Amino acid sequence: MNIDTPIIEIQNLSRRYGKLDAVNNLSLHVRAGKCYGFFGRNGAGKTTTIKCLLNLLRPDSGTARVFGLDPQKNEVAVKSRLAYVPDMVAFYPWMTVRDTLEYLASFRKHWNEDIEADLIKRFQLDPKQKTSHLSKGQRTQLALIGAICPEPELLVLDEPTSGLDPIVRREFIETVIGAYQSGDPGRRTVFVSTHLISEFEGLIDEFTIIEQGRELLTMEADAARDRFRKIRARFAQPPAQLDLSGALNVKQSGREVEILTNGNSEQLLEKLKTRSPEELRCESLSLEEIFVASDILKKVQA
Amino acid sequence: MSVFFMLLQIDFKSGKPVYLQLVDQIRYAAASGGLRTGEPLPSIRPLAEELRVNRNTVAKAYAELESQGVIETVPGKGCFLKESHSPFTKSVRQKILTKEIDEAVVAAHHLQVDRDAFLALVKERLDSFERKVKDNSDND
Repeated sequence: MNIDTPIIEIQNLSRRYGKLDAVNNLSLHVRAGKCYGFFGRNGAGKTTTIKCLLNLLRPDSGTARVFGLDPQKNEVAVKSRLAYVPDMVAFYPWMTVRDTLEYLASFRKHWNEDIEADLIKRFQLDPKQKTSHLSKGQRTQLALIGAICPEPELLVLDEPTSGLDPIVRREFIETVIGAYQSGDPGRRTVFVSTHLISEFEGLIDEFTIIEQGRELLTMEADAARDRFRKIRARFAQPPAQLDLSGALNVKQSGREVEILTNGNSEQLLEKLKTRSPEELRCESLSLEEIFVASDILKKVQA
Repeated sequence: MSVFFMLLQIDFKSGKPVYLQLVDQIRYAAASGGLRTGEPLPSIRPLAEELRVNRNTVAKAYAELESQGVIETVPGKGCFLKESHSPFTKSVRQKILTKEIDEAVVAAHHLQVDRDAFLALVKERLDSFERKVKDNSDND
């Protein structure tokens, strides 16, 4: 594989369920060693896209490539180099934690037993416990151990932390950063779909927001936080005829104005300063706020 | 875990790239004595886990600090604050102070403390500080 080959490359991917366009002409690519966020509301097409990457679904049109390979034609080659944690994890109920890990390891060429022992201890899992007796949090932890021990080049996480308590969520993310990422950073790529964005904020290098199967915005996280800002201004009197052209969105209530900016916050701040506000504040939007403002962001695309 | 961890705060709302926030805060800690010459910096993995940021972000910050001559990597031992780390330039020091002064200026505005009263207060506090420093050195 050429070093520049994207780990994931999706080109004009479409998948319909009956009349519904679940994924509609989606393109994105994920470079090696990056953590890529895939954000969208429930039903936006995230899981359908991931299933096309794993050959659990076939695209109607367009292509999905993983490590430069076609997951339909090279299913084993692709799957042996990645691990996948879905939002609903299922194990054979009669197996214990130990049985399950041995079963998962039997499919892998490589299995890091030190990491396995560390994580079992960290998560305080009982190896003799039957999987049918595990809580949802423990099942996810077991799935994460199963995904990290083979030290795959690509970790695909589909809503991994939804429905978990805050402590388990925190441990989950720390484990992805610590146990997974630090092995061989250039060859540790994460593709995570989530709507619990704030928890993954520090991990995300680049992201795509999808809505109704279509790409809404793709950006690097630092660049996005630099570009989208929120200005709050309060005036002594309700301001008349403020010229805020170029703002993404303006909300005014009495003496206060809230403005969303798109790369032009300096310019708008200068304009506001000429009106002598009592208070003027500017902060970046977090990735979660950018996601929530998706409706407004459509204007950016238009 | 060293106390140094607790000094670092990532603010996603500042609009500044996360690795640069780390660079600035570590330089600030070095300039203000929060981190002393020869003291080890936390290694990348625990710091990344603690801050819940990408491991690459911490690595990038450390690489930047190394290229600026603030820290050095001792193979097998980790990263340390360099003995002759370059202190902040005058313009950077002034920039840090400007931020603090701006906050006081805004507070004065809201409390309706006028310009002359504000300047008089600044002078009074400076005199008081200098007296304290002098007293301490006399007692040594």
